[in-house]
Amino acid sequence: MKFSLNPITAKKLRRFRQIRRGFVSFTILAVLIGLSLIAEVLVNSRALIVRFEGKWYFPTYGAIIPGRTFGLDYDYATNFRELQARLEKEPERGWVLMPPVPYDPIENCYPGEFFRPRAPSFAERHFLGTDQLNRDVLARVVYGFRNALIFAGCYIVLTYLIGVSLGCSMGYFGGRLDLFGQRLIEIWSQVPFFFVVIIVASIVSGLGGMNLGWLLGVVVLFSWTSITWYMRSVTYKEKARDYVHAAEVIGAGNTRIIFSHVLPNVISTLVTFAPFSVAAAISALTALDFLGYGLPPPTPSWGELLRQGTSNLSAPWIVASAFGALMLVLVLVTFIGEAVREAFDPKKFTIYR
Amino acid sequence: MTPPDSTPPLLQIRGLKMHFPIRQGMLFKRPKLCRAVDGVDLTVHHGETVGLVGESGCGKSTLGKCVVRLLEPTEGAIHFEGFNLAPMGCRQLKPHRRHIQMIFQDPVESLNARHSVGQILEEPFVIHRQGDREERKKKALALLDKVGLPAASYDRFPFEFSGGQRQRIGIARALALNPKLIICDEPVSALDVSIQSQVLNLLLDLQRDLGLTYVFIAHNLAVVKHISDRIAVMYLGRIVELAGADELYRNARHPYTRALISAIPEPNPRRERERIVLTGDVPSPINPPSGCPFHTRCPHVQDRCRVEVPQLRPAGPGHEVACHFDL
Ligand SMILES: Nc1ncnc2c1ncn2[C@@H]1O[C@H](COP(=O)(O)OP(=O)(O)OP(=O)(O)O)[C@@H](O)[C@H]1O
Ligand code: SF4
Ligand SMILES: [Mg+2]
Repeated sequence: MKFSLNPITAKKLRRFRQIRRGFVSFTILAVLIGLSLIAEVLVNSRALIVRFEGKWYFPTYGAIIPGRTFGLDYDYATNFRELQARLEKEPERGWVLMPPVPYDPIENCYPGEFFRPRAPSFAERHFLGTDQLNRDVLARVVYGFRNALIFAGCYIVLTYLIGVSLGCSMGYFGGRLDLFGQRLIEIWSQVPFFFVVIIVASIVSGLGGMNLGWLLGVVVLFSWTSITWYMRSVTYKEKARDYVHAAEVIGAGNTRIIFSHVLPNVISTLVTFAPFSVAAAISALTALDFLGYGLPPPTPSWGELLRQGTSNLSAPWIVASAFGALMLVLVLVTFIGEAVREAFDPKKFTIYR
Repeated sequence: MTPPDSTPPLLQIRGLKMHFPIRQGMLFKRPKLCRAVDGVDLTVHHGETVGLVGESGCGKSTLGKCVVRLLEPTEGAIHFEGFNLAPMGCRQLKPHRRHIQMIFQDPVESLNARHSVGQILEEPFVIHRQGDREERKKKALALLDKVGLPAASYDRFPFEFSGGQRQRIGIARALALNPKLIICDEPVSALDVSIQSQVLNLLLDLQRDLGLTYVFIAHNLAVVKHISDRIAVMYLGRIVELAGADELYRNARHPYTRALISAIPEPNPRRERERIVLTGDVPSPINPPSGCPFHTRCPHVQDRCRVEVPQLRPAGPGHEVACHFDL
């Protein structure tokens, strides 16, 4: 197998690059995703580097370091902000380098104090303030973004896996499987998605708790239909094209025809759906979190922030942060989706495909 | 029918029917059938070219697709070298596939745009496990040479070629497995007129060099006239006349064939010829007329034609016609 890019794909990518708005959005989103992957280095209550009595420590990843290691009087995880403050008074013992945002998304930054949202403050390094439980909003936005991405990624993989395999089998083999699948999809897509998700979510929460897996399962259960339907119809059409017949005449079996001929030709159009699927996944997660049927607290999530924000309008930074983040990502994703569709538009390629 | 020589024919089609069920919206309506091919008998001998002519929709492609077994015929037999291909399943068919190949009408549609020419031409060898990678490449290059394409085409993709060149790629692919019979389904009708004769000549050269047998499908007589040994005229899923090419021209017996011949532009304008213009549309194969399928448009129609189906009957040496009357 050669790994040189098929010229058609190369051409599509070139055209995507030429669509400025989409490409810029893509770059920004890619950077944001990249940053969220290394979020521990940027937003974390653990120090990046600790120099203590001649030894180096890199606490960011790995097991917690008990306070006694640094001469503190407790065995639980070191509070590095305190350590930093203490070492600043006795610099001969060492120093601490904290991340730009020295807070964890789930920690109460002011234990022992009243719960109250704090306004953004550069001096305190709460760049977006704190929420009503004294947690840093920026930390929650960043880690909430990462959770949304993980959710969207799994969502896409699962829905596409089901959609492509089932839809392709239905379209290719037809017959009873197709008939049964069609009826199932028709019935299934009439089920009101959110109501059922909320019902299932409340049952699951009652049984022992929601987690990412359950939530994903429930949402995917009600969103595989559209991609399956699409795959079914394009496979059905693709199968009737002469190049497939030609392969058949040569003696190609079903497996070969599906994987070497039909799928590569239909899957490229699936790419155009991906950005919109991401948007749908993020919106669904946020909506469920907003309603309280999503990930269990204290998981950082945008929906939960939005809910806090809307009930704490006197602390507008909460709702503004969550809303701003959500809007930014959705707008970026939509621009990307638009550009991808423009660049990959199958209509333009009918003569080449 | 009497074969001209004693060797068994290469292909013998007997009573072939291909009826497509047509789905209808209503729940309780009985499904209707599209009788695309409705009882065809045809014999093809080694090394000859049989032209298959008829209007659009008369079932020529369907017949061809049944022979290469892209379709499973509803009824009838397809004897090829002593095997009846008609009832075979995928597994049984595979060893026979290589002997019967097809060239498609639209060279854009018939090549997978995601595969390079090399991949396209090597696929037959990969499927039939012939040779290793190097040998396959060598064979692919030889095929390119055979159809008159430069070796540099190997790494190119179909969209980089013109229609005629793409059709050459399609021909090369059909030749890959050394087939005995090639069904040419209007291989030149999608091409520019200037290119058509080049591709036809290529097909003729290949036939001479490789001893190929062709079933050559076309929708008008002008194309098949020069390259066919025998011509079968199809109408609404049946063969209505079958004769040697010259015989058919000089001595057409079926009114439909005569109409087709009169539609060929006459090269010599001074020789006035009677132009037979058919009125009315081709009836639908979903509701074929009773009796003679041609009776709705035939200028010689009689009462008998409306009830009784005419069968192919001898009308001269190697000449058969399906009409009740000697016209
Ligand atoms: N898969 C199918 N399902 C239902 N009907 C079909 C199918 N394939 C062909 N037909 C019908 O069978 C008839 C014959 O079609 P066919 O393609 O064989 O005609 P043709 O003689 O090759 O015409 P053309 O010159 O346009 O290629 C047409 O009426 C067509 O609608
Ligand atoms: S059988 Fe009758 S309708 Fe049919 S072609 Fe002959 S004369 Fe015409
Ligand atoms: Mg056809």
